Amino acid sequence: MHAPSSSRLTPSRVLAAARAYPFSTLLTIGLLYVALWLSWHIVDWAFIAATWQAEDRAGCNPDGACWAFILNRLPQFTFGFYPEAERWRACIVLLAPPALLLLAMAPDFKGRRWVIAGGFIAYPLASLALLSGGWLGLTHVPSDQWGGLLLTMIVGIGAFVLSFPLAILLALARLSKLPALRWLTIGFIDFWRGMPLVAVLFMSVIMLPLFLPPGYEISRLGLALTGLTLYSSAYLAEVIRGGLQSVGRGQTEAALALSFGFWRTQTYIVMPQALRAVLPGIVNSVIALFKDTTYVMIVGLFDLLNIVTAALSDARWLGLATEGYVFVGVIYWLLCFALSHVSSRLEAQQSRVIRQDRVLTGSTQ
Amino acid sequence: MTAPTSIKVRALSKWFGSWCALQGVSVDIEGGACTVLCGPSGSGKSTFLRCLNGLEEWQAGEIEIGGIAVGDRPRALTRLRRDVGMVFQSFNLFPHLSVLDNVTLAPRRLLHRRRKDAEEQAMRLLQRVGVARQADKLPAGLSGGQKQRVAIARALAMEPKVLLFDEPTSALDPESVKEVLDVMIELAKGGTTMVVVTHEMGFARRVASRVVFMDKGRIVETAAPDAFFTCPCSDRAKSFLADISPS
Repeated sequence: MHAPSSSRLTPSRVLAAARAYPFSTLLTIGLLYVALWLSWHIVDWAFIAATWQAEDRAGCNPDGACWAFILNRLPQFTFGFYPEAERWRACIVLLAPPALLLLAMAPDFKGRRWVIAGGFIAYPLASLALLSGGWLGLTHVPSDQWGGLLLTMIVGIGAFVLSFPLAILLALARLSKLPALRWLTIGFIDFWRGMPLVAVLFMSVIMLPLFLPPGYEISRLGLALTGLTLYSSAYLAEVIRGGLQSVGRGQTEAALALSFGFWRTQTYIVMPQALRAVLPGIVNSVIALFKDTTYVMIVGLFDLLNIVTAALSDARWLGLATEGYVFVGVIYWLLCFALSHVSSRLEAQQSRVIRQDRVLTGSTQ
Repeated sequence: MTAPTSIKVRALSKWFGSWCALQGVSVDIEGGACTVLCGPSGSGKSTFLRCLNGLEEWQAGEIEIGGIAVGDRPRALTRLRRDVGMVFQSFNLFPHLSVLDNVTLAPRRLLHRRRKDAEEQAMRLLQRVGVARQADKLPAGLSGGQKQRVAIARALAMEPKVLLFDEPTSALDPESVKEVLDVMIELAKGGTTMVVVTHEMGFARRVASRVVFMDKGRIVETAAPDAFFTCPCSDRAKSFLADISPS
């Protein structure tokens, strides 16, 4: 981008502006000083004075970050207590989503529909089978040994994949002409939206076993997934309902007149437009869901945050809370940033279509 | 070629709340011909048309299309709509699909045509209505007249026996009106059963086999176009024609 030459910054122009607005100039210099001072301290702590290799806390420079602690524990933070010999399975599960995403976002890729279907149905089932094993000579790894980033991804992706179809059904039921169905759905959505996630998870641990036959147990992962799925499906359902209501009645009528039935009208005509219209809202909910996965520590699971917290009390690495939480923060930020980047790419692709949605619905009555 | 499909309507009544939109309308619509419904706005002609393919529910009376009763059982209604195409005032093209996909969607998903066959048929239809060059565009890139002609092609792709037109030219600029009317005139000559709600009296005069004049939810007058336009029987039709003719 080139600014027009008349507004280009030249030293003489800057000086003239500085003289004309002395207060702004002072403020600018002051803020620049604070920003530089802060970044210098951060860079100094995180990189220059940091220790990358050490056997324990005593081997770290006390003035800088002790990344040796993180690097030392990295396998555990990534895989939890997953047996070392079997970690290649977890690697596949962790690397598949970015690979699928890249494939799905490749321009003019004909198989996109299959990749998306695969990501939604085949990937979760295959991951579950691969991780727990017990077939084809794979040793069985019970789910309470899964942990760290692996568990965070499983819970996040699992809850999304389960809650998305549920949310679509809820949104449709919420707009149904049948009063009983509509009121039941409204009650369901309001119930889950009205409760704090922490309470939902506590209740799933304490109350759910009361309703199950004695001797029957759901894994803690199952409990957490169920709670998160129901909770986030209520939010997603309301987002999707907004999308459904933004599609003009004329679209449904045109589909009906062509002899589409209810489900086909929704599948081929209403849903594609509705989901595109509310894509930013959906991504927003997904990011919130992803961060909410940290609450699974309530049912006693060791997700990324919880496993780092647990490692902080290791006698050899005491007092490294800052390093631990900065690490967790950076990982979460990177993943959420990737999500929002994907969504803005998708929005750019769809903006053409959405703009014309407006034109058309505008001309409908 | 099977016999053209005729429509029989008996004592059709519809209320919106306490407002009576249709008051016992009875009419026989001839198969293989073009019937024009006209009347002042609010006379119930669009409502009547939308009852014919079950887009509106009604409270009393019967409709038969080709001897099959139009009911409210969803499955039977869906089956019946396969034979009854409709063209809307506001086009209602699917904005997320290209022109070609707009036309092929129903044949592919409902008649289970193969993509290649459906696209060949769609290109023939688009050629016929004169928008074949726009096949790969999205509807947003078309003019109003082009959109309406695509909508006609989309309805024709299901090979309907009856075509309903709900004020197809009312949302168009004068130049586009002619494009669309030319397509409709050609269709009417082809011998499809057509029911057209329109204010285009020139069209009615040229191709209609009958004109049905409605007012306040009743059919006031049914006549051949020559008779209707030269000497309407009812006073209501006389004043309507006087109002719309630009003299």
